[in-house]
Formats: sequence, C-alpha cells, structure tokens
Amino acid sequence: MAMIDLDKMLVKVKSTQWALSDIDWDAPGADLITEEQWPKLKEFMTDLMWIEHVGARAFAAMAKKAPTDTLREIYTYFHAEEQRHANVEMALMKRWGMLDGDELPEPNINLRLIIEWLDRHSDEVPVYVLGTVVPMLEIALDGALCKFLLDTVDDPVCHQAFEKINDDESRHLGVGFSVMEMQGHGATYIKTVEMAAQIANPRVILGIASYFPLLNKMRDNVVAMGLSEEKLYACMEKFEKIGGRTKEGRSNPWFQIIKFHSRWMVDRSNKFYHVPVDALVKATSYIPRKLLPAVPSWVRELTYEPTA
Amino acid sequence: MTNAPPSRKPKTAAKKTPAKSVKKHKPATVLIVGAGFAGLGTAIRLQQAGIKDMVILERAGEVGGTWRDNNYPGAACDIPSNLYSYSFDQNPDWSRSFSGSGEILGYIKAMVKRFGLEKYIRFNQNVSDLAFDEEPGLWHATTDSGEIFSGRAAVMAQGPLSNASFPDISGIEKYQGHKVHSAAWDHDYDFRGKKVGVIGTGASAIQIIPELVKDASKLTVFQRTPAWVVPRPDFDTPDWQKTLFRKVPASQSALRKGLYLAHESMALAVIWNSPMTRLAERLGRWHLKRQVKDRWLRRQLTPDYRIGCKRILVSNDYYPALQQSNCKLITWPISRMSENGILTAEGIEHQFDCIVFATGFDVGHSGTPFPVRGTGGRKLDEDWKRGAQAYKSINVAGYPNLFLTFGPNSGPGHNSALVYMESQIDYIVKGVKTILDKNLKALSVRGGAQDEYNSRIQKRLAKTNWNSGCKSWYLTEDGVNATMYPGFATQYARQMASLELKDYELIPA
Repeated sequence: MAMIDLDKMLVKVKSTQWALSDIDWDAPGADLITEEQWPKLKEFMTDLMWIEHVGARAFAAMAKKAPTDTLREIYTYFHAEEQRHANVEMALMKRWGMLDGDELPEPNINLRLIIEWLDRHSDEVPVYVLGTVVPMLEIALDGALCKFLLDTVDDPVCHQAFEKINDDESRHLGVGFSVMEMQGHGATYIKTVEMAAQIANPRVILGIASYFPLLNKMRDNVVAMGLSEEKLYACMEKFEKIGGRTKEGRSNPWFQIIKFHSRWMVDRSNKFYHVPVDALVKATSYIPRKLLPAVPSWVRELTYEPTA
Repeated sequence: MTNAPPSRKPKTAAKKTPAKSVKKHKPATVLIVGAGFAGLGTAIRLQQAGIKDMVILERAGEVGGTWRDNNYPGAACDIPSNLYSYSFDQNPDWSRSFSGSGEILGYIKAMVKRFGLEKYIRFNQNVSDLAFDEEPGLWHATTDSGEIFSGRAAVMAQGPLSNASFPDISGIEKYQGHKVHSAAWDHDYDFRGKKVGVIGTGASAIQIIPELVKDASKLTVFQRTPAWVVPRPDFDTPDWQKTLFRKVPASQSALRKGLYLAHESMALAVIWNSPMTRLAERLGRWHLKRQVKDRWLRRQLTPDYRIGCKRILVSNDYYPALQQSNCKLITWPISRMSENGILTAEGIEHQFDCIVFATGFDVGHSGTPFPVRGTGGRKLDEDWKRGAQAYKSINVAGYPNLFLTFGPNSGPGHNSALVYMESQIDYIVKGVKTILDKNLKALSVRGGAQDEYNSRIQKRLAKTNWNSGCKSWYLTEDGVNATMYPGFATQYARQMASLELKDYELIPA
C-alpha cells in the first residue's frame, strides 16, 4: 500500500462524518432475522460491538501518543468512529430485540480482560506497538466478522449500516498500514532493539497475555456461529500481504512479530502455540467476574439512541 | 494566569448607522478610543499630569469595557482584586479575594466619579475610522454617528480583541434553538429546566458551567482541548481587613506588593520551561486527582501540552460541576450542527433548547477593529498582515502620535494585566508631554528601532512555553506570537520607564 497523504486523509475523514440518525431504524426488514439465527446472532453482535469498542479505546491511546498533530486528530476521529460503529451495532441489536431494556450486553471474559488492560496500560504503550496490533485486529476480527454478518443477514438496514461502517474501516486500515510503513523507515537494527526492550515491558507482556487468548477465543466463537475458520484466516493473511507489500512495511519489526504470530495462529497443527493458548482461553473462562474491578466508565458511553 | 477576557461586542450587536451629515469637533490634545480600564486609566494619569484637554470615545452607553460586556453568570477575575486594580486608586472594600464582574464594574464606575472623568466621555460613539492628517499633525476619528473628533495624540484603548468569535462549525446557521455568546449574555433567557449545551472549556466557560449546572435540566459541555486548571484561593474578605486597609493604606500596598511578587515568581513556571513548570503541572494534576475520582474523566480532562502554553485557568468549582448528575462532558469531535443541536463523530445528535458559545474572541493578530491610517496613506491592518508589530508594544512606525494599549506583545501570562497597563499609561503620558513640551507635530517611532525591538522579542519568544507547540490564540495561523510579552512584568515596566527620544523622529509643529 502506497503511503497516503495524512493531511488529505484528515480532510476526507472530517467530510465523511455520518450519524445514527442518517439511518431509518424503523424501516422494514427487521423480521428477516430467522428464529434460528437470533440467539447466535445476539452473541455475535455482542462480540462485534465490544471489539469495535475496544478498538475505539486503542485509538484513544494512540491519539495521546501520535507523533504529529495530524495523526493525533485522525486517531481522535477514529476513536469516535469506532464508538459510532459500536453504537450502530447496539442499535441493530435493539432493532432485532436483542437488548434487555437499556442494559448493555456483557462482553465475554477475554474481551473483558482486554478492556481492563486497555484501561490500565494502553496509554503507556508506545504508539507503534498499538499501531501494528490495531490493523491486525481490524482486518482479522472486524473484517471477517462484518463479512460474515453481511453474508448471513438479509435485513437491508444492517446492510445500509455496514456499508457506512466499511467505508470508515477502509480509511482506518489505509492509515493503519501507512503508519506501519512510516515506522519501518530508518535503521532496522535500532528498531529491533527498541522492540526487544518493549517485549520486556510488563505492560506489553500483559497485553500479549490478553491478546493471544482473545484471538483464539474469537476463532472459537466465530466457528461456533458457522463462519468457516478459513475465512477468518484468509482475512489474517491479508494483514501479512498488505503490511508486507513494501520494504518499509517489512522493516517494521512489530509487523514481523504480528505476522509470525498470525502464522502460528492460522496453523492449527502448531501445538506449541495452540495448546498453551487454548489452555489460557479455558483458564480465563474460570475467572470469576466478581474478582474483576468495576468496568471503566468509558464502557458506559455506548448508546443505541441516535439522539441525546 | 491572566485576567478578564477583553471587552467586545458580538458581531450581531455592531450596527452601523448611516451618517447623514458630518459634525466636526474642535481638536483636543488627546483622543482616547474606549472607556474601559485602559482608556479611563490613561485619562486619570493625563489629568494628574495636568493634561485635561481630552476626549474619550465610547461605543456603548456606559463605561466598563470588558467588565460591562462580560457579565455572564459566574463572571469573575482570575487575578486577586488587590492586584487587579490600579495602584493609584486602590479599593479597600473588595468583598472577595477574586471579585466578580459586577463588583469590578462598580469599581470602574466609582473611579469615573472619583476622578471626574464624565466630562471627557462621549457615549455611543463607535469609531469607524481613525486617520492621521500629516499637515496639521492631527488624528481624526470618524464615528458611526457621522461626527469627527480630533486630537494631537490618539490612544487606542478599545481592547486588544475585536469581536466575539463564533466557532467555525459546519451548519451553525441551521441551528434553530436559542444561541447565547458568553460576551453578550442574554439575561432575559430562563435556563431553568432547559437542555443546554456549552461549546468551549476556556476561561469564560469554566465560570459559566458551575452556574448553569444549577439551573439547566441537562448540561452538555463540549471540549476540544482540556486546559490546565489550578485551585483558586478565593475567600470572603474579612471585615477587619477592610478596616485595616482603610485606616492604614500602606498595609494594602504591602499586600499588593506581595501579590505582585508572588505572581512574578509564577513567570518561571508559566513563561519558561523550568523545574517550576513541572511543579505547576504537578499542582494541576493534584487538583484534578483530588476533585475527579473517575479515571476516564480524569484522562479526558488531563491536558497534553506543557502548562503555560495556553492560558492557565483557576477554578474550584469547574470539575465538581462536570460531575453533577445533570452534566456531561463530551470530548468527541463535533461533526456539524443541525436544526436541533450538535452532531458529534460518535454518531449521536445532542439536542438542546439553548447553546452557549463560550468560544472567546476574534484575535486581532493582524487586523484592527476599524481602519487606522497613518502617514502616506498606509493602513495598519496591511502593515500587520504578517503579524502585528510595534515598538515596545505601544508605538508603530508610520503612525505618529498614536499610542496603543495592549498592543502587540504586551500580554501577560502570569501577572495582572493592570500592572502592564499602568506601565503603558505612564509611557503614554510621557509621550503626550513630549509632544506638548517640544511642540511637536509628530512624534514618530523609527522603523529601525521597531524592527530591532521586534527581532529581540521574537528571539526571546522562541524560548517560551507559548511557542512550545500547542495551538492557542496567542499565535497567528503561521505560528507567530504577536500577543505575549516574554518576560517578567518588572522587565516590561523597566522597558517602559523611559521614552528614548533617539528611537523617535521629532517633527516640530
């Protein structure tokens, strides 16, 4: 992916803002959700909504540390846009009768751990670490899940909403890969040493310990819902393909690390990776929620109401 | 930490009345534009120097400038009153350590009476043009009413900013609800039970919000950049103190001196990056942590620029107000305005009965509030196109006998504006006396002296916190700081203490 002009991108982002009120939430089509689909879709939408929301929080952390004013502003918008996506997904859930009153659906435990990590540590993690992980999450989870949703659900309002979401996401990915390439400029040796130092950073270790099981958990979830595992892996491979297209992209040591991780991830026969990580997924499922601290207040910012 | 927002009328209030006939007044010695603190202070000092032939042109129907226009709920000064007043007219009766706008306006009105300034003031005279006539050496001020007032010297004391500024938000004209600007408060509007939005979290907003939250059913505050907020040591003045100040005026002068020195020391934190800056940031963070328990809200309110780069705010009740159950802070970028309210980038339309714009003023970095024409037809706004410049902030080459108050690079970041103003006023008195004593047609600062002064100032500014990378109204679009003075108030006073005739061209009458 060629480097993009971030100033032009900021103008584009500003001029393409949309709102929940641009969508007619009462338009016909809600009944196209079948009874069989309904319970699985509810779980699916909950995961999707939370992934958008944690993505939002990651962008907030990146905005704090962005190296330029333009990038800071772009990330500030992306933070809001991910929140908008989560709001839209919540509004779809409301439309499909999946919300219990005004109650926020519970995130799964792995997402809950990621929320906890993001809240406590993400602001302290260097921007280039998140700047590589976030495109991976967006392309793999967001991309795969959205595609699966559109293949499965016939409600036209859902399609209308995701058309807008996907436009936003393509800009997020464009910027994401461009920033990864920006970080690949310069002496690779120094970058590798810097990366090695970060891997020893307890914050990053904790993040990895939350990120690995999250991916495996999401794989299990989407497979349980009927998405073929291969489709998820195909999306993850896109990360390697796009991110590694240029010399700069390949010189970014964080890209290399995430790439190798995604290779392990898609290789089911890699027992060295999957046995311990699946065990972690299982272990985390036993964590009593009561032991976790109260959810941070940014979590409660979600709403399905187009107006306030 | 500066003072009050400068006096201005919002754009909507500025109505031009077509002139029917021109009425020329007999030339005075000094023509003063504006009857706020600066204009009135100049008049007092001129009068004390024996110069009593002057005219003060005031566009409104009463005196007070800033403190007449900024009367929104909670409006107050963020410099202690004992320092935010004139040393030559101290008031022993301030009711609080930081007085509200009403009390300050009362002080200004009392000053007018005490010094008998009414006779000089021409109310409802909005200057539309100020031009120097080289032949007789006179400044002519044309007003909207079609009258021409003239003077051998002119003092621009109309306030450093020209107009209340509305933010550049797409669709602002579509909004159908009630709009109020902090600098033109609508006292007839009843906020009780209303859904109110406040745009801005600057000096005016943080005073308005704690008041509005008491009345509004729901208050939504839109923040773009969080400011550094430090505690405000505000208290009611005890009666014994007022008695002491009345009986022993020297005690008030001593307090004033103490306050002055305390503020001077803050320059080390505010103007330059020093260990004091870190201490000031620690104080700001401590204040935030003490008042805001929620980690996310604290994060939203934590500034990401060096303290001092923008105006530091002082408040004890802003953070608590934001945490009231009927108040919400929004930090999402604003996308546009609609008929009903404000749409933010997280996709929600926030609907309001009324929106309060606490968005400050159009800063005259390069423009002037009315055309100012000097020698050879030159125009001040053209000369200032690339950033305003003046000699010692007070005179501009090509504009003889013209004196600016709060001219370019005269803004204080850490001390009372009135301390700086007194230095300017005394300089003006010296200038006018020079014109009279030497019977000059023109006292005109030399271009070279002005350039030399400005290159020194800009060199010093480069090392200050104001030029450390944040965006603020102190800087022009090109990043030139034409607003602040990079030094202690004492340094400024010293530079203003003498009028160096070698830097001026003197043309005899």
